[in-house]
Amino acid sequence: MRLLVAEDDPMIGAAVARGLKHDGFAVDWVQDGRGAELALAEKVHDLLVLDLGLPRMAGLDVLRAMRRRGDARPVLIVTARDAVADRVAGLDAGADDYVVKPFELTELAARIRALLRRSTGRADPVLTYGELELNPVTHETRVRGEPVALTAREFALLEALLARPGAILSRAQLEEKLYGWNDEVGSNAVEVHLHSLRRKLPADAIRNVRGVGWMVAKTAGGPA
Amino acid sequence: MRLPARSIRRDLVTWLAVGLLAAIAIAAIATYLRAREEANVLFDYQLQQMAASITGMPLAGPPLGGTPGANALVVQVWDRNGVQVFLSQPQASLPRHAQLGYNTVSTGAGEWRVFSTLAGGQVVQVAQPLSVRRELAASMALRTIMPLVALVPLLAVLVWFGIARGLRPLQRVAAAVSERSPRALEPLAEAGLPIEVRPLVHALNGLLERLDRALGSQRAFIADAAHELRTPLTAVHLQAQLAERAQSDAERARALADLRAGLGRATHLVEQLLTLAREEPGVSERSFAPVNLTELAHHVIAEHAAVAAARGVDLGTAEPDGSTPDVIINGDAAGLRAMLSNLVDNAVRYAPDDGRVDVAVRREPGAVTLEVRDNGPGIPSAERARVFDRFYRVARPSAADVPGSGLGLAIAKRIAERHDAEITLAPGIAGPLGEGLAVGVRLPTDFAAETAP
Repeated sequence: MRLLVAEDDPMIGAAVARGLKHDGFAVDWVQDGRGAELALAEKVHDLLVLDLGLPRMAGLDVLRAMRRRGDARPVLIVTARDAVADRVAGLDAGADDYVVKPFELTELAARIRALLRRSTGRADPVLTYGELELNPVTHETRVRGEPVALTAREFALLEALLARPGAILSRAQLEEKLYGWNDEVGSNAVEVHLHSLRRKLPADAIRNVRGVGWMVAKTAGGPA
Repeated sequence: MRLPARSIRRDLVTWLAVGLLAAIAIAAIATYLRAREEANVLFDYQLQQMAASITGMPLAGPPLGGTPGANALVVQVWDRNGVQVFLSQPQASLPRHAQLGYNTVSTGAGEWRVFSTLAGGQVVQVAQPLSVRRELAASMALRTIMPLVALVPLLAVLVWFGIARGLRPLQRVAAAVSERSPRALEPLAEAGLPIEVRPLVHALNGLLERLDRALGSQRAFIADAAHELRTPLTAVHLQAQLAERAQSDAERARALADLRAGLGRATHLVEQLLTLAREEPGVSERSFAPVNLTELAHHVIAEHAAVAAARGVDLGTAEPDGSTPDVIINGDAAGLRAMLSNLVDNAVRYAPDDGRVDVAVRREPGAVTLEVRDNGPGIPSAERARVFDRFYRVARPSAADVPGSGLGLAIAKRIAERHDAEITLAPGIAGPLGEGLAVGVRLPTDFAAETAP
């Protein structure tokens, strides 16, 4: 899952980006409203963490413009003002949730996971697919109830594929989900991670569609 | 024993009563004097009539006995040879010889008024004690003032309640004032107030207005400060969480270094807020003393030298040979130092790496100017007025990279104002980032400025 963080304060922005990366998200960080606009136009992020006090273009304006364009991606606002009116204005402008500064990284990550879950129409935080169980909170993966140790990248890959069963994701699409702008991506990094992931899972869990990409089949066992 | 609290009402009643009694006393004395004068005229006439009526009466024989009449008149008659032929009252002792006409004589029995006349070879004397007249006058005076004296208590009661009524607007004002709280300082109603109370209420309203303004700016400051503190505290909070989560020593070392930087920023902001709070008008009236600005500038440069050197910024005085003459002005040394320190700090922050910052102390006619010039990005002229606002930071793409509290210029301005100094912004040294910035503080030197050799 790839997040866009729009935060003008260099220390807060750096800490949030690092903390969220630590939680397995790919994170891009912009420091003003215009930057957020440009990044959103790329359509690669799954969620926007938006500080309301951005220079050059206020957070609320970024949010309103986004919703006017019909961009329905979840937005979590971060505000230093705890007045009810500010939070209401943010929610009414189209935000899905908010945190008030100072906040806990764990809470921020939990709210982000909740928003991502709801945006894909799920209620159960544990992704279940056939014999696979994926817990985005604990980063635990089980196959037939047995825990399987996955690296952060492998987990992120599986999570991206399970989010849309039946859809074929290209290597570029998977890269976008896994890496931020500043992350160094080896030319076949995705293939390496996929290869190692498929070895840890039942043989046909992830299928390669030659020349197109990878998918988890929408089988009868399907998403439970 | 405690003195009772002063009361306008009691004072007024007391003074009114004293005045009234004094007036009554004066009236009594005047009435008495006038009544006595009138009594003199009347009784003198009576004495004369009496003498005239006695004249010619056969008054031979033993002296008449009897007691003095109501008017206590005494009559005595002498014949031509000076022999007393008649005395109405043997007890009375009157002078034997008297001049004719009216006379006042002193005897053992008090003062007497005597009328003597010569008629038919006899001297007829009619006399009356003056005390009779005095008593009559006194009783007349007393009768006149008695009703007034009786009215005094009534007047006192009326005045007592009248004053209470008159002072009621004061009580209303007091009630209205006590309803005011630091949150609600709306002015008191001035309409319908007596003219004696109106100046007080007017003055109070002026005070309330000033108080409201001062409290309002304090509240705004606290709200701003709380909001601004939240940012560095949030950063520290997050950095601490990252340090806790660190899984390798390298990661932990980096997180702790970030945390220390975050704490440094929060500390700097708190210190700046404290400096600003100390510069609030009326918080502390530090006394002015002679300050050597040249020395002060050297101290401030020394303080920032390490930070400047770390970024390769060339920080120094405008005169490189250090031959600047001492410039001494009257001022608050701690304040001026905080001001210059903030200006130099800003200049070093915004100067590019390997940039330049000059500090100059210049003597001008009637003033001394402190100037800090850098070759940083400068401040667009449209924003120059606003940069002195608390927490205002120039919005520019690179501004986010220069950490700062947004308070430096606000602090400098406060301190400059306290010294009646004018603070100006102008382009400084043109550099790679822009036109640079020159901050000048022009300190007037009407108060004795002197140059040490």
